[in-house]
Amino acid sequence: MKLFSSYNRILSVITLTGLLVIGFLFYQMLGQYLNRQIEDHLYEELLEVRDFAHVKNILPSPDGFDDVIVEYKKIKKLEDQRKFFADTNFYNPKKKHQESGRYLMTQMVLNGQPYELKIIASKFERKEQIKSIVLIILLPVVVLLLILWLVNRVLIRKMWIPFRQILTNIKAFNINQEEVFKPIETNIDEFRELNNAVLDVSLKVKSDYKEIKLFTENASHEMMTPLAVINSKLDTMLQSNTLNKEESEILADLYKATSKLTKLNQSLLLLVKIDNNQLQDKEEIDLEALLYERMNYFQDFIQKRNLSVNTEISKLSIYANRSMVEMLMNNLFSNAIRHNYVGGMIKIVLTPCSLQFSNTSTQACLDPVKIFERFYKDHASEGTGLGLAILKQVCLRQSYLLTYDYQEGQHRFKIEFNKPQ
Amino acid sequence: MKFLIVEDEEGLRKSIDQYLTAEGNICDWASSYEQGYQKLSLYDYDCVLLDLTLPDGEGLQLLKHLKKINKSDGVLIISARNSLDQKIEGLSMGADDYLIKPFHLSELYARIMAIVRRRSFNGNSLVQFNELEIDTISKELKVNNKLVYLTRKEFDLLLYFVTNKNKVISKSAAVVHIWGDEADMADSFDFIYTHIKNVRKKLTDAGCKDYFQSVYGIGYKFSES
Repeated sequence: MKLFSSYNRILSVITLTGLLVIGFLFYQMLGQYLNRQIEDHLYEELLEVRDFAHVKNILPSPDGFDDVIVEYKKIKKLEDQRKFFADTNFYNPKKKHQESGRYLMTQMVLNGQPYELKIIASKFERKEQIKSIVLIILLPVVVLLLILWLVNRVLIRKMWIPFRQILTNIKAFNINQEEVFKPIETNIDEFRELNNAVLDVSLKVKSDYKEIKLFTENASHEMMTPLAVINSKLDTMLQSNTLNKEESEILADLYKATSKLTKLNQSLLLLVKIDNNQLQDKEEIDLEALLYERMNYFQDFIQKRNLSVNTEISKLSIYANRSMVEMLMNNLFSNAIRHNYVGGMIKIVLTPCSLQFSNTSTQACLDPVKIFERFYKDHASEGTGLGLAILKQVCLRQSYLLTYDYQEGQHRFKIEFNKPQ
Repeated sequence: MKFLIVEDEEGLRKSIDQYLTAEGNICDWASSYEQGYQKLSLYDYDCVLLDLTLPDGEGLQLLKHLKKINKSDGVLIISARNSLDQKIEGLSMGADDYLIKPFHLSELYARIMAIVRRRSFNGNSLVQFNELEIDTISKELKVNNKLVYLTRKEFDLLLYFVTNKNKVISKSAAVVHIWGDEADMADSFDFIYTHIKNVRKKLTDAGCKDYFQSVYGIGYKFSES
């Protein structure tokens, strides 16, 4: 829920209940006040009736008054001289219909005869009065509230604009890209603070990331020379004429480990290089030709495993960095061959907008998120665990969409050239 | 032949020195820019192995100096930096080849010899070994003056072994030489075996002696005895 709607929800519940309660109380109080007025009036009428009877010695006619009706009922003797007030419905003979009213009932002796007296006054007009008063007061309040709500809405939306801008800029912030977080212009203190905090964090993250990259690069470079020494010493040892079988095996293992370390180092350096955007020269690349060329390069390996290669290749040229695209192809090919089984199948599909490599494998479906992580690899894999990470990084750099799926026993990597990740 | 090794890493320098000297070459070395500058100015070499990062200067400046004083020494750059820009810069400044650390000594020697062959004025593109005659330009192999057909990879492999004759070449060195760094496949060692088997068969069929020797499954040696 948005902050504004959450705030609004609470506010409107409070205003509505408040309005209802206040309206109800107001209505009740007005009613009470009017009742008392009517009661005063009824009492005056009662006095008038008594005076009339006293002076003229006759009872006033029941409809002899302007706005009240008087009913007499003879009783044997006075029992209760208290005055009762209550609401009733009565027939108004002047207007000739039922209406609500308030009456005063009492017992008194008129001209020596005890009577039960009931004086009824219409409440109709008073009620109308209440309605008008309530409407006159409540309507402007409701209208005022509505206006306030609208103004609030517009104002808050406007006031949050800098916040939305900051949010958009944070989302657009990419650690791999050159530009830093774009600060915004605002004179609201809170937003300025947020803006500055995010700016600081982004700069810090950026410089830390740069440092890590630099560290990786330097560490890898520094390792190359000792590796060169080890390699050359191994080559020298190999020339010794006194090597026995056991020593040769040790040498072979050392060669293998050194070569793996070298490969790992090269891959790390490559990743840093791609991250640093150092491979920028772009050119027109004929993918079809490149695909056949690479296929030729890997021919030995394909034949050795007796793999059948199905191709559906159409013409496609892309504008990209050549070494990155070659890397991409190499990785796709060596993956498809390396993880295949003898007699397996590789399918290569090049359409005018995408490149797909599918291969059979001894392995079941892989985790489509994890496989692109650095150093994620199968236990049996001989590789460095960086091949797919490099693939992913290349695609990211060139704005290609790289996806993996597993269907009918085939692992498929798909690169879409016109869809950024 | 006479070589100069400009390299500040002593271990590496010694290994290269040892490997090259064993082939009957003369090796001189320099461990700093200053030393390299003096030796390059004073003497002539068939090939200079030039490390790009020296403690007191840039190797490329040495290359510049060499070209400035009009020396015709061959130059092979050996660098830890696998940077395309630097490679292009070095080659455009007149270096003959560019080798990235770490490398196999046999690969280094093959590259040196290729440079020396290319630079020799008397068109010495022929490599001979007893009854074998390899033309490195037309990529032809003759055994007792009879042409023998090899595939490109077989030819490269044979030339590699003949150049490094009497040396044990590890399988991984041979793999890198034939496929480069990209093919990091478990199968690749088997291919070396297959290719060498094919070369051996083609050579012996043509009446050549079998000079290939297997060394405990770790590598091969091409030698007379």
